[in-house]
Amino acid sequence: MKFDWQNMEIKEISALVSSHLQKNGIEVVLVGGGCVSIYSDNQYMSNGIDFITFSPIKKITPVLEELGFKNLKGRLFENPNCKFLLDFPAPPVSIGDKPVSRFNNINTNFGNICLLTLEDCIKDRLAAYFFWNDQQSLDQAILVAKRNKINFSEIKKWAKIQGELEKYNIFLKKYNEESF
Amino acid sequence: MLESLLGNSTIEKILFTLESFDQAYPTGLSKIFNIPVNGIQQQLERLENGSVVVSIMAGRTRLYQFNPRYPFLKELRALIKKAMEFLPEKEIQIYYKRRTRPRKKGKPYEV
Repeated sequence: MKFDWQNMEIKEISALVSSHLQKNGIEVVLVGGGCVSIYSDNQYMSNGIDFITFSPIKKITPVLEELGFKNLKGRLFENPNCKFLLDFPAPPVSIGDKPVSRFNNINTNFGNICLLTLEDCIKDRLAAYFFWNDQQSLDQAILVAKRNKINFSEIKKWAKIQGELEKYNIFLKKYNEESF
Repeated sequence: MLESLLGNSTIEKILFTLESFDQAYPTGLSKIFNIPVNGIQQQLERLENGSVVVSIMAGRTRLYQFNPRYPFLKELRALIKKAMEFLPEKEIQIYYKRRTRPRKKGKPYEV
């Protein structure tokens, strides 16, 4: 089947790839910037789509080739017609040193996407802000929080465990100040 | 010491170096351990693919450090630290206690 890769949105591509992998017995979870794009209605545009799976790359490669994606090197896949690179970071799905076992599922016309929950998506971005002081990640966390109904107490509890309440308060302050 | 577990001695050296200095770069590691830079890069790539390390660019140099988001980092570092206690003192002095304080440009480094 031919797809209009150039004009497909990240959500559609994620769904298409996820479903195709799933049909072939490969379970994946969408993590990283792709979740931010979806939860922010593309206000933030990731240039890569990150999936985590326990399946080996050797098993993924022929399945993705059916969609025109070639394995570049290591865990990266490229389709010359698609503007997004696919990456398969090493498992498990984790936020800091804690495993993630609760996910969100979104249905689209192109199939189903299993992805991080809203709160875990924000924690994931905040983790990068906590570790590397990455302001872009902070902005992305705010963007997702602004556009969705968020359980802030869950995020605060996590930030406290991480010993990062000070930075969590900066996140909250900017969330209340900034208009996105 | 951890060679059999990690797959090879180069990875062990890289991890010991990161534990000692927090960051490392391929040519630096290559010079210190007298291992071809390709071999070092290959192992760093392997560690990066496994999310054990991450890299950032500093000018034209790619600096590697432990990935703070690696879920087993605390346990891995504890194992590395424990293994390093068994290194001969001479080896620690040569490889893992190198000068890290600043040195003005032009002043020779004492060995």
